[in-house]
Amino acid sequence: MKKITRFLKVGILLFVSTFILSGCGFPGLNSSSQDTVRIATQNTTEQQIMAYMISDLIQHDTNLKTTLINNLGSGSVSFQALKNDNADISAVRYNGTDLTTIFGQDAIKSPSVTTRKVRKIFQEKYHMTYFPSYGFADTYAFMVTGKLARKENLKTVSDLKNLAPKMTVGADQIWVNRKGDGYTGFTQVYGFQFEKVYPMQIGLVYSAVQSGKMNAVLGYSTDGRIKSYDLKVLKDNKQFFPPYNASPLATDKVLKEHPELKKVLLKLKGKISLTTMQTLNAKVDNDLIEPQVVAKQFLEQHNYFDGKDGK
Amino acid sequence: MENLNTFQQLAYYFSHNGLYVLTQFDRHFLISIYGVVFAAIVGIPLGILIARHSKLSATVIGIANVIQTVPSLAMLSIIMLGLGLGVNTVIATVFLYALLPIIKNTYSGMQSVDASILDSGKGMGMTRFQMLYMVELPLSMSVIMAGIRNALVLAIGITAIGTFVGAGGLGDIIIRGTNATNGGAIILAGALPTALMAIISDLVLGWLQNRLDPVYKLAKQHK
Repeated sequence: MKKITRFLKVGILLFVSTFILSGCGFPGLNSSSQDTVRIATQNTTEQQIMAYMISDLIQHDTNLKTTLINNLGSGSVSFQALKNDNADISAVRYNGTDLTTIFGQDAIKSPSVTTRKVRKIFQEKYHMTYFPSYGFADTYAFMVTGKLARKENLKTVSDLKNLAPKMTVGADQIWVNRKGDGYTGFTQVYGFQFEKVYPMQIGLVYSAVQSGKMNAVLGYSTDGRIKSYDLKVLKDNKQFFPPYNASPLATDKVLKEHPELKKVLLKLKGKISLTTMQTLNAKVDNDLIEPQVVAKQFLEQHNYFDGKDGK
Repeated sequence: MENLNTFQQLAYYFSHNGLYVLTQFDRHFLISIYGVVFAAIVGIPLGILIARHSKLSATVIGIANVIQTVPSLAMLSIIMLGLGLGVNTVIATVFLYALLPIIKNTYSGMQSVDASILDSGKGMGMTRFQMLYMVELPLSMSVIMAGIRNALVLAIGITAIGTFVGAGGLGDIIIRGTNATNGGAIILAGALPTALMAIISDLVLGWLQNRLDPVYKLAKQHK
């Protein structure tokens, strides 16, 4: 009997000590302590650069610590992370994607209407605050090689009209069959068809057009490879593709606990243009520099660390 | 960048992102260490317990064996359901995988202590606590250390996949390399430090294990 109580005592001691140890967070890892802000980010270059920017700014301007929840697979996964209280901030949300994929609604042409609608749903249904855009929008864009653009003097999508019957085009496989702003909608608005449209994996289209396997491709407008492969983005002169404005999203819970975060998240509002984002993306995708280093360099160059806010 | 070969790219990568690699290295190592330390805190007393009560040993080692057979990615996902995304999930996974080598080695270390030595200890009037601290633990320390060494090398490997639940570490660099267009150098920049970490910690703990071996100590005294 005495033996049993002794083992019980040891067992309880072990249980309690591991419990206490796991509850207080791990030194050096910024895991679960109260003053740590968790930033969810996806596996794309753009997302990681912006996440590190937010993280650096929070650490500089406030007394809070940050930790990144990196490499999430999609916008809905990082949204789920916020919803389940696994994260506090989602680094980059695209308003159009949120409206169509997360809320399951039809796409709206006007970006400002989309933003208003998305902000309202996030606020009312999920108690999250959708911040104003960083200043860049990611959207589908037709691109050709710079060489072809110069030779045929291509500037807008409409300029493709005469060449289109002889052109092979690679496009995101989701886009090709999509209703509304898909290929069918495109032919109706622009009034011409390509010879053939190949559905492709989005990450492969840039090298496909660069190597000449495709005459033109439909890719993301912010991709860094546009710059490094010398591709020409054709202007969407009939405004067929809705721009997906990029903004941060934060839970109301974390904004209530740490009201100073709001100021920090507004600091980057409108500060990052499409060309800036392309340049930053290119540094990562082409020049082998880590998103974290690129983010820090950008903030240093633009004097974000000079002010004495908070510290 | 295209005109450089992979190793030149690798050198370029390290020269520009050295600090980042270092922070991820640090993070990776800490995650692994925390998991193993918790496993040692739980595993060593459990190993001692089952060495005293051999009836329990089959069950406890059986359970630890079952845990070991679950694929690590599956384990990570199962624990994620409970603990959510982030570093805690990875530490819990490392903890579970580190349990078996530590429990098993503690158990066999305690078992291997010669019964006659225990008897002489008893004859000298040692209490059970004294026997454990002065006889059994010192004699089995090198075997226990071998278990911790196994566990740590295992842990470093598991932490690398922790990137899938957003825990960070060197796995982040590897994954980024697989997403990049010409990511060969980036993959190496993540994989080489991971391998290096495993090799170095194996060597260091191996050295420690030898130092703790009573035979080694004895040989040194007789020199």
